Amino acid sequence: MTDIEVGTVLPSITATFTRQTLVRYAGASTDFNPIHYSDAAAAALGLPGVIAHGMLTMGTALRVVTDWCGDPARVLSYYVRFVKSVPVPDDADGATVTFGGTVTKMEDGIATVTVEATLDGVKVLGGAKAEVRCD
Amino acid sequence: MISETHVGRSYPPSAPYLVSAAKVAEFAAALGDADNPAYAGPDAVAPPTFAVLLSSAAWQAMFDDPELELSLSSTVHTDQRFTWHRPLRVGDAVTATLTIDRVRARGNSAFISLTVALDADGERVCEAASTLLHSWPEGKAA
Repeated sequence: MTDIEVGTVLPSITATFTRQTLVRYAGASTDFNPIHYSDAAAAALGLPGVIAHGMLTMGTALRVVTDWCGDPARVLSYYVRFVKSVPVPDDADGATVTFGGTVTKMEDGIATVTVEATLDGVKVLGGAKAEVRCD
Repeated sequence: MISETHVGRSYPPSAPYLVSAAKVAEFAAALGDADNPAYAGPDAVAPPTFAVLLSSAAWQAMFDDPELELSLSSTVHTDQRFTWHRPLRVGDAVTATLTIDRVRARGNSAFISLTVALDADGERVCEAASTLLHSWPEGKAA
């Protein structure tokens, strides 16, 4: 992985989040905030309905990087801002999020990948960057 | 109520959490990555963001601090940074220690920046830094 150039575009992935995805992530992560499974709880906080865990979006987005570099142990750091929530309707279609990445810096054997996550063309993560060891 | 005077406050380390093969597999599956060979077998590592399971559990110590008047249900997670020194592995016994880094009060809300240090067998494994936006009911200024 030493000959990676700035501008390299990583293969993008899509992920569909349904209510079942959220329940599964709630159990796995032990984040049982009811806004991620109850429309009533979401409405009480002024949300239009149940939204995905920000950390589900963050964790799924990193698959772009781990699929590309082949070894999750190479990931040195990862940052995201949660700029927009991902509403997940109570149907079989759910919400489909598209994830991509571009190498924006290469220094001392460490690639910086700028990560993008969009729902219907709108960014849901801001300033998302991962550093990956490439030696 | 939480204020700049609480910057630097730390809480005692959590009880050790034992990273199990079953939990790693469950977490990978929840991210749609069940088939990734890195997360299975005798040398399994945890998905990088598995660290949130341990770091967010450590937030409870801060929410339980009566002086700060915080509640999880009035909190929005605004950003997250992980720095890994090595991957979490099956068999690690991990402690989590929370420190408050920064408090910026704005009217009836406050941005709280905190870092949770994750250690296994006396070795630093990961730092998980979060910014939380906490809101109090109208009329109660921070």
